[in-house]
Amino acid sequence: MSGGIARGRLAEERKAWRKNHPHGFVAKPETGPDGAIDLMIWQCIIPGKSSTDWEGGYFPLTLHFSEDYPSKPPKCKFPQGFFHPNVYPSGTVCLSILNEDSGWRPAITVKQILVGIQDLLDQPNPADPAQTDGYQLFIQEPAEYKRRVRQQAKQYPPVL
Amino acid sequence: MDSEDDMHDANDVESMDDDEGFYSDEMGMDYYGSDDDVDVDFGEDNEGIKRIEASRAENNFIILKESDIKQRQEEDITSVSTVLSISRAASSILLRYYNWSVSEVHEAWFADEDKVRKTFGLLKKPVIQLPSSRELTCGICFEAFHRGSIRSAACGHPFCCACWEGYIRTSISDGPGCLILRCPDPSCGAAVGQDMITMLVSDEDNRKYSQYLLRSYIEDNKKTKWCPAPGCEYAVNFVGDDENYDVSCLCSYGFCWNCTEEAHRPVDCSTVSKWIMKNSAESENMNWILANSKPCPKCKRPIEKNQGCMHMTCTPPCKFEFCWLCLGAWSDHGERTGGFYACNRYEAAKQEGVYDETERRREMAKNSLERYTHYYERWASNQLSRQKALADLHQMRTVHMEKLSDIQREPESQLKFITDAWQQIVECRRVLKWTYAYGYYLPEQEHAKRQFFEYLQGEAESGLERLHQCAEKELQQFLSADGPSKEFIDFHTKLAGLTGVTKNYFENLVSALENGLSDVDSQAACSGSSSKNGGSSKAKGGKGKGRAGGSSKNIDSAGMWTCEYCTYANSKQSTTCHMCHHQRR
Repeated sequence: MSGGIARGRLAEERKAWRKNHPHGFVAKPETGPDGAIDLMIWQCIIPGKSSTDWEGGYFPLTLHFSEDYPSKPPKCKFPQGFFHPNVYPSGTVCLSILNEDSGWRPAITVKQILVGIQDLLDQPNPADPAQTDGYQLFIQEPAEYKRRVRQQAKQYPPVL
Repeated sequence: MDSEDDMHDANDVESMDDDEGFYSDEMGMDYYGSDDDVDVDFGEDNEGIKRIEASRAENNFIILKESDIKQRQEEDITSVSTVLSISRAASSILLRYYNWSVSEVHEAWFADEDKVRKTFGLLKKPVIQLPSSRELTCGICFEAFHRGSIRSAACGHPFCCACWEGYIRTSISDGPGCLILRCPDPSCGAAVGQDMITMLVSDEDNRKYSQYLLRSYIEDNKKTKWCPAPGCEYAVNFVGDDENYDVSCLCSYGFCWNCTEEAHRPVDCSTVSKWIMKNSAESENMNWILANSKPCPKCKRPIEKNQGCMHMTCTPPCKFEFCWLCLGAWSDHGERTGGFYACNRYEAAKQEGVYDETERRREMAKNSLERYTHYYERWASNQLSRQKALADLHQMRTVHMEKLSDIQREPESQLKFITDAWQQIVECRRVLKWTYAYGYYLPEQEHAKRQFFEYLQGEAESGLERLHQCAEKELQQFLSADGPSKEFIDFHTKLAGLTGVTKNYFENLVSALENGLSDVDSQAACSGSSSKNGGSSKAKGGKGKGRAGGSSKNIDSAGMWTCEYCTYANSKQSTTCHMCHHQRR
């Protein structure tokens, strides 16, 4: 993975995604004001799973890849203040497969990351809380937690 | 300590193939080798010493150099690989997981081979079927490659060599975790062993990997540890029981196997850790603050009063003005309360006992601080002396021995008694140092024990001073002499004798402290009286029926008599002291 494999791999990821990707998901490299494509930052959308409280929400997620990718995982960020027990106040997602010290393997694809995060949305991991708000409600007030999740889903309607 | 590196040369050769262990060559068996007379006299005692040392050393530990470590590791890997019929790389992975215990690997494997294979990723056959096309897609860079340039672990997941290299390199640079590397595929647990690594990465990374593997052999093994001396690259394999943890490395550093602190006999590990904690702890600073300062009555910052009158003004931003004695606001003070250097409010209140509690606490803190300082200073100064002696020993070995051998026309082997003496000094300083930690923790109320302890310590200390003096000062004249001198033989006898005597003292001190001064109950009265007699009359204890300490015991049982003047242990046949020529009494 000596210098520059990151871009090559991301170009391949892009190709693979265009060929085939899960329904409702969006993932595309950022386009600058001058129309130039930046392969290192991807704007994605993760749909909430149907028949869960997350249904109807289309949640924007940004993937920041480093030059070390795929040796090192990308950083995945929801908007700041996103309500979820395993999302830091900054919006960064805390998930084992995205942790370079434990779960990350270079063969994990963008598709696997996005599907993994979709699973995390309605199956939070209370052993690894990243924010107080979401964690406390999830543990202590399930009803209020549900209400907040539904409310958040409404905040992020489909883009189209 | 820079001297240690150079010093192991001297020990190197002898120690490695010396079955007796390291005490024997450190303490030297032949102090008296050059003097036939004395040699005969000491015949019995030599036996005694040998026995003590043998029981103490008894191959408690083996020092391993890098080549020894490699060899042992190779042997263990070979053994597992042969018995289990698996590759060396796989054996190495298993051994690593089972802390390099060959028997544990065997046990686990034969209990449930499939489970072991599954847990540690040692697959028997690939888990995926690759398409039979000529080109395969690398699972990391997603590019198509010819089959020939694709590599896989036992699982069969295909990756190109460049991606493998990057994957392995990243893992190696992240640390020893690379030793348990698995396939880059997220769902796959197949192990990636050294065979793959050797094939795929640069020499530099291979070197690092081997280094981690070597370190793991020492660090993950319960029976081995690195020598903790800075810069030392030897490891120690401990094979002894839990009776004696003292280990002395080839680099000449002595340490305790159990706690890896510097060797600390006769003090136990927990006392040492308490003492080290105490030396570094904030608690002593707190004690000092408590004893020497008062908190500002307003902002509570501690204030040390080092001069001036009782009118205090706290530093900005507080600026509170108050009376040092009664801690009341200064606005209530002045001429009417006794002026600037007294405070009659304080005096009056003190009469009524208002300040007693705080004063008493302050006084206690002061006392305990003084007591601690007393022991600490002596502990530290012996530590310093020991370091100086180590440097002197080094100097002796590297410079003076050759010079002296020229001047006195004696082969260096005949001058070993000098380095023996210095080695004894170094060891004694170490023991003496720790006796001060021992003394600090010896309960105040155990008067008899304290007395006995201080007596033994005093004896040992004065014996050591005598030896140190002789080795340091009396040697000088022979170093600056022009040619061989007759007195040198006397010097030889004296220094060798003092070394032996001092060694005896310290052995007694060590064994007395190690059995918790248990002799004291029956002998409290005797030791009390002999300690009053002062330093020069220690032989009295040896002659009398109540003996002061173990020293005379050993000497008695070996049929020796102790000179009353110089404490030299003479053979029973002689009627005058071999050392100072006083008549036996």
